[in-house]
Amino acid sequence: MIGNLLSLIRFYFFYPSFFVVIIFPGLLFTGILLLTTIWFERKAAARVQMRVGPYYASKKLGGYLQLIADALKFVFSEVIIPAGVNETLFVIAPILLLLVSILPFAVIPVSVIPQSGSVFSIYYHDFYDPNVGYGVLAGIFTCYNLLLILALESIYPIFVIFLAWVTNNRFAIVGAVRETFLSVSYDALILIATLSVAIEYHTLDLAVIVQKGIPGVIVNPIAAFIFIVGMLIGSSRFPFDIVEAETELVIGPYTEYSGFLFVLTMAGSYVGNFIYSLVFADLFLGGWYPFSGLPGAAFMTFKAVLLLFFSVFLRSVYGRYRIDQALRGSWKYLFPLSLISLITGTLVGYLWL
Amino acid sequence: MEVEVVPVQGELNVGPQHPGSGHMRILVKLNGDIVEDCELDVGYVHRAVEKLGENRNYMHLIPLVERPAILDSIHMNMGYVMAVEKILNVDVPERALYLRSFAAEVNRIASHLYGLGILGIFIGHSTAFMWGFGDREVWLQILEALTGARVTNSYIIPGGVRRDLTPSIIEMTKKAIVYMRKKLKDWEKIFLKNPTIMDRLQNVGVMTREQAIEWGAVGPNLRASGVNFDVRKAEPYAAYSKLDFEIPVYKEGDGYARTLVRFEEMEQSMRILEQIIKDIPEGPILADRFLKQIPPIRMKKWVQGQGRIVLPGYYASFRPPRGEAAARVEASRGELFYYVVSDGSPKPYRLRMITPSYRAIYVFKNLCKGARYADIVSIYGSLDYFPPEADR
Repeated sequence: MIGNLLSLIRFYFFYPSFFVVIIFPGLLFTGILLLTTIWFERKAAARVQMRVGPYYASKKLGGYLQLIADALKFVFSEVIIPAGVNETLFVIAPILLLLVSILPFAVIPVSVIPQSGSVFSIYYHDFYDPNVGYGVLAGIFTCYNLLLILALESIYPIFVIFLAWVTNNRFAIVGAVRETFLSVSYDALILIATLSVAIEYHTLDLAVIVQKGIPGVIVNPIAAFIFIVGMLIGSSRFPFDIVEAETELVIGPYTEYSGFLFVLTMAGSYVGNFIYSLVFADLFLGGWYPFSGLPGAAFMTFKAVLLLFFSVFLRSVYGRYRIDQALRGSWKYLFPLSLISLITGTLVGYLWL
Repeated sequence: MEVEVVPVQGELNVGPQHPGSGHMRILVKLNGDIVEDCELDVGYVHRAVEKLGENRNYMHLIPLVERPAILDSIHMNMGYVMAVEKILNVDVPERALYLRSFAAEVNRIASHLYGLGILGIFIGHSTAFMWGFGDREVWLQILEALTGARVTNSYIIPGGVRRDLTPSIIEMTKKAIVYMRKKLKDWEKIFLKNPTIMDRLQNVGVMTREQAIEWGAVGPNLRASGVNFDVRKAEPYAAYSKLDFEIPVYKEGDGYARTLVRFEEMEQSMRILEQIIKDIPEGPILADRFLKQIPPIRMKKWVQGQGRIVLPGYYASFRPPRGEAAARVEASRGELFYYVVSDGSPKPYRLRMITPSYRAIYVFKNLCKGARYADIVSIYGSLDYFPPEADR
């Protein structure tokens, strides 16, 4: 009886639609990763800057619990709603923002399911992908996942602008205008970089790209570079921290937010960055290949986390570009480069893959 | 279909509660991303130093005049004391002059590092911010060992200085110079040659030679616009006439040139420090006239024993003769001018101070016109404008 129940719980726990989206690398893991990333960001910057960084909250853990303490403090601090805003929209906007940024977890394939020998093997038939020849470990199995991820990520700026509009603050609106300009340029870059890889591998399915066994960074390094820069702009990492530019715009679109709602707005860009990193790991770094099942998912997530750490580390190296410089850079230099990557992708795809 | 282009205009009220405003308010009139006009609302840290100066004894004013710019207190102090000395007509012994130059140059390096740190964080470079404040610590410790305080040193008194140089301070300075030379190379790599920093500073806030003179720019800002003017050369005070150093001058007049001038001034300051350590003459550190007033017991214990000046209480209320005097020094941010009028009482009749940051207000306002909104902070940082110093 109990054994029956346990196996039932186990079945639902490891069911990919639940496990990938909620446990790993979805909501729960992302929550922990968020704290780790911010801890790493502060600790690495402190190392470069002759400081100690977070320390007092837990000396033995190198101050790791400082982030938990900060999060607790934010949860219990008062949420100030400015006079003259629509309260419902004000509260809903950051939640929507986080929701949209976290949605792509549902479709990113994180590993493949072998027919036997893995905890996921019982779901082999439900998630079977005829193009790959394996089951695909993903929240929702679809062979157009690349398209869906990009579509979901490109809605994100709309919600940033919505949020800024709701708060009715001038700095927020200037920040939102900057986000508008930038989103047009970085979305174009990311789309073309991704498309050139898709053309190269003749597919819109990330699982097929990974199972080819040749990482995209080898067959199309230009696209990989463009994608990284687009990712940095898209998630407001340095040197493209233009939307949130602290000394210019306080914190851009999120100026009026405080307490827990502020944490949600902050989390949005980190989650976005992690999603892009996961896609990058799939597209260019060979994803889970040659592993499968849970080790494959861990391997792929590890690569994505490394990239995430790299992009937050840039804070201690670079300053901040001006909006016109970032726009000129992306349209004048990176856009033609991305077209070259498209041509490369077409040629290499035609001749080799 | 015709697209109607609507000019986007609006005002932004930057400050006084804003991460990029400092102790003031900047009213920015924007047209799109371009600043059409910029109104500086200064005076949030006005401390009425000039008026208070009329109600304090000359000695009691020394800690007051250095308050507006505590990170540059040696210079703030020195200008005032030099003006008072002119009224008193006192000759400062040579060793004291060398010590004044020594403290001033240490302070100049510390102040420039502070300015560079602020410039760094203004354009998003947090490493420069932390390095600026971290490396500044080395020089502050020298000042602490020499004067007894990290900032607000009150080191220079009419007739000389308060404390003498010790071998351990010389050792500290030598170490600091070696450290700083090494560190400046790192600074160059991560800050000066950083593509983002170069993009943010080059061709931003360009001030031509004529404009710089017309708007009354001083110090590194003036020298970055191609004007070779430095009070240390033009009207040497302290020991500068005996020291060999160069004045870095750039022609570009943009934010990057102003930053480079500061960098090279730090190197020149270290050269001066090395010369002072080598050449400093032996002798008293206070003018004979005042030294004679120190009671023998104190003389033995403090002055000869520890190299410190401890004056009798009545020295604090000395009455200088009637007269007026003006003095100027090259503070870290530029020319600092003092004008003191004495009516024979223990308090000045009038104290006028014109600080370098005060002269930067008009420059800042003019440079902002036509710049991009994001450039305001990089102009602010590259001018090294320090609101408390301007407000006095």
